[in-house]
Amino acid sequence: MSLLGPKGPEIGCDECFDLLDQYVELELAGADADARIPGMRAHLEGCPACREDHDSLLALVGET
Amino acid sequence: MAVITEEDWISDLRGPPATRDDALDRLHDLLLRAARFELGRRSRMLHGVPRAEIDDLATQAAGDAMVAILAKLDSFRGESRFTTGAYKFALLEAGVKARRRAWQDREVLLDEAAWPAVPHAGPSAQQVLEDAEVLNAIRDALHTALTRHQREVFTALALNEVPIDVLADRLGSTRGALYKTLHDARRKLRAAIEGDAR
Repeated sequence: MSLLGPKGPEIGCDECFDLLDQYVELELAGADADARIPGMRAHLEGCPACREDHDSLLALVGET
Repeated sequence: MAVITEEDWISDLRGPPATRDDALDRLHDLLLRAARFELGRRSRMLHGVPRAEIDDLATQAAGDAMVAILAKLDSFRGESRFTTGAYKFALLEAGVKARRRAWQDREVLLDEAAWPAVPHAGPSAQQVLEDAEVLNAIRDALHTALTRHQREVFTALALNEVPIDVLADRLGSTRGALYKTLHDARRKLRAAIEGDAR
């Protein structure tokens, strides 16, 4: 259940913000972003605010 | 129109006054576009907020993002494009402002008054039943496994779905600190529930 968050290891919000641009560019390049930045995906599953930031950056960079 | 390279952005922002001013104007335009993009994505949350106020939020977000970027210019080390890194600051600032504006007249509940019946229920009756069982287990563990602060943060963020930036504002905390508390609370609740199930 999502109330208890992701089970795997995850990074925190500050590290997520620091790495978000790299992660999004890896995703858009078709690279294995989760292997390159472990713990990011789990954090995005557990933190709605960081997930919204991620989704917006992915959408904005993807259209430019 | 000339293409602005990554090196150009950094060197122009550190350049002589005329060059720097021009770069600041370009950066502000870029940040304002990102802030408007984000506020557009949050339009449902901002339903009823006057257009002029949303424009003000975008301008404030672009300005705050600009200050943050200039303070951290050394952190732009070419691991991503400068524009991608700049966008994330504007999206963050605009998203935070949108959430805070949407909640400015709403009460933030730190207790279990708004305990959900079956949150995030799955599509099947079996899933609903399992979710209800987990919810009951969480309710029991909430008072035995968590400190008061952990209980309040978990209740507000996970149960009552208060945006983390809104809670940070009300408690004088930060997104990172509150998420650490939420993470610790989730870990303790999971351990308590799994212990009871054995």
